[in-house]
Amino acid sequence: MSDLQLSGICKSYGSLEVIKGVDLDIKSGEFVVFVGPSGCGKSTLLRMIAGLEEITYGDLTIDGERMNDVDPSKRGIAMVFQSYALYPHMTVRENMGFALRFAGVAKAEIERRVGEAAKILELDPLLDRKPKQLSGGQRQRVAIGRAIIRHPKIFLFDEPLSNLDAELRVHMRIEIARLHKTLATTIVYVTHDQVEAMTLADKIVVMRGGVVEQVGSPLELYDDPANLFVAGFIGSPKMNFLKGAVEPGDDGQLCVRLPDYADAKIPIRVNAAVPGTPVTVGIRPEHFNETGPAALELTIDMLEHLGGETFAYARHGKGDLVVIETKNGRGLKSGDRIAARFDPACALVFDVNGRRLR
Amino acid sequence: MTNGIGRAAGALLTYGFLGLMAFLSVFPFLWMALGATNSSIDIIKGRVLPGAALATNVSTFFTQVNAPLVFWNSAKIAILATVLTLAVSSLAGYGFEIFRSRQRERLYRAMLLTLMIPFAALMIPLFIMMGKAGLINTHIAVVLPTIGSAFVVFYFRQCTKAFPSELRDAAKVDGLKEWQIFLFIYVPVMRSTYAAAFIIVFMTAWNNYLWPLIVLQSNETKTITLVISSLASAYYPDYGVVMVGTVLATLPTLAVFFFMQRQFVQGMLGSVK
Repeated sequence: MSDLQLSGICKSYGSLEVIKGVDLDIKSGEFVVFVGPSGCGKSTLLRMIAGLEEITYGDLTIDGERMNDVDPSKRGIAMVFQSYALYPHMTVRENMGFALRFAGVAKAEIERRVGEAAKILELDPLLDRKPKQLSGGQRQRVAIGRAIIRHPKIFLFDEPLSNLDAELRVHMRIEIARLHKTLATTIVYVTHDQVEAMTLADKIVVMRGGVVEQVGSPLELYDDPANLFVAGFIGSPKMNFLKGAVEPGDDGQLCVRLPDYADAKIPIRVNAAVPGTPVTVGIRPEHFNETGPAALELTIDMLEHLGGETFAYARHGKGDLVVIETKNGRGLKSGDRIAARFDPACALVFDVNGRRLR
Repeated sequence: MTNGIGRAAGALLTYGFLGLMAFLSVFPFLWMALGATNSSIDIIKGRVLPGAALATNVSTFFTQVNAPLVFWNSAKIAILATVLTLAVSSLAGYGFEIFRSRQRERLYRAMLLTLMIPFAALMIPLFIMMGKAGLINTHIAVVLPTIGSAFVVFYFRQCTKAFPSELRDAAKVDGLKEWQIFLFIYVPVMRSTYAAAFIIVFMTAWNNYLWPLIVLQSNETKTITLVISSLASAYYPDYGVVMVGTVLATLPTLAVFFFMQRQFVQGMLGSVK
């Protein structure tokens, strides 16, 4: 187990800056997930931690020791790759023991550690097979086994479940969570799938354009996003964003008028807003109900019945689609006019720059 | 109905054309094999049926030619040239693809331009170089100019594009240095590419004629291609004997091809899936 610190980490390719000053403290034993859209720099940051990419500026320390110029194999890390990166000409046993063989570890010790990792990951019957004889899930388990066997201080996972089908992805997600519980090792995990991030992480790092947008626990990010991007990225289906403007309400409090939704007025408690300011109101699909004090008059465009719940895609006139999650949606049909009610206290308000107004 | 007839006519044309092409490709080999069984007179007359002179032709060939020596010379040169060419050119192809530098593409293009220089233009300078190095009439002189092959470097660079970069990353995390990644990961993973290159380079080296003709001057150093050529250019050439020599000279390349056929096809399609 180990502490990992990133201080002012930057990465440039010529004049192109892809990581723009990342500061991050990862505590020993934490499961940290880097999440963000494609090209946000999350994999590059992981590769810099691994030593596979040079750090242009800033300091990377593991347990207080500066690691910028240390060889990847000497950083005490192990990495699991998206494509598994198993050596195709070696058996599972050879793949798992390869790093130790190169480190000069005794044969008996390698055998013991391979056996230990194989037992944890239920790989015993597969040890003498080649990677091409394994399924995607088995290959991924071998890749994890290859990492475990090195007893690393920090595990690095680079989108390890992207190549698996949906069912296997859920299964492997549980396996990885169990593994973290068993080994209690620090894990840094990269994904673009926010469901993976929400279910696995102790701490999520949301990135965009080489910058960390917000760091926090999954529920902190979900309930209290710092900006429009994080609010939209975390949560599935994503948060609804309605454009409006702040104006004085009838009771002397401020409210947001939504011109695209029949001039609906939503009372808000936002200290930072002044009348006339254009804003975006964010409402999560599950925050719509039948009893809330505020309402949007909408017409249902399309329905998705998932059994336990229904997602209704509705709009007012030419306004943007609003996604509503409801438990009582079986009787609804396309074309129905509904009053989508919600509690304004659940609505989040963002300024024109996407910053949260509190 | 009309459609069916049209399709049948199309298939007939296609198979007819393919059959003709196959015949044109196979006929020289067939003629060579049949020629080895006929007397020189029959061959000149254009006989393309099996004859009864095989034993005589074989016996004459082995009487006129020190076969073990010339085959040994050819094999030595072909194997040495192939091993060295693969070693040097695969390293270069790997390097050109993997390592980034500003000058990389310029250097690569300059190397590819050397493919445009005809060998005839290089013969005299090469001969002078070999002469100054004291290598004339040695097998090393035959091998040396062939090992830096621009075509093979190009082939390896193209194939290296399919080598997964994550394997290299995984090997680095496992503690391998760059040369170890090449030796312990790249070479075994790319073995189909090596097999395909082996066949191409071996055949080229085995069939090499012009440069050995210039640089090898004594009978003790001559290769099978030179010996066959000298048989064919005799005052009264015995074409039956020439055909026996040609058949025997073809056997090693055929054996190499059949032995490595599967890897050759895989290598041509790409080593890594």
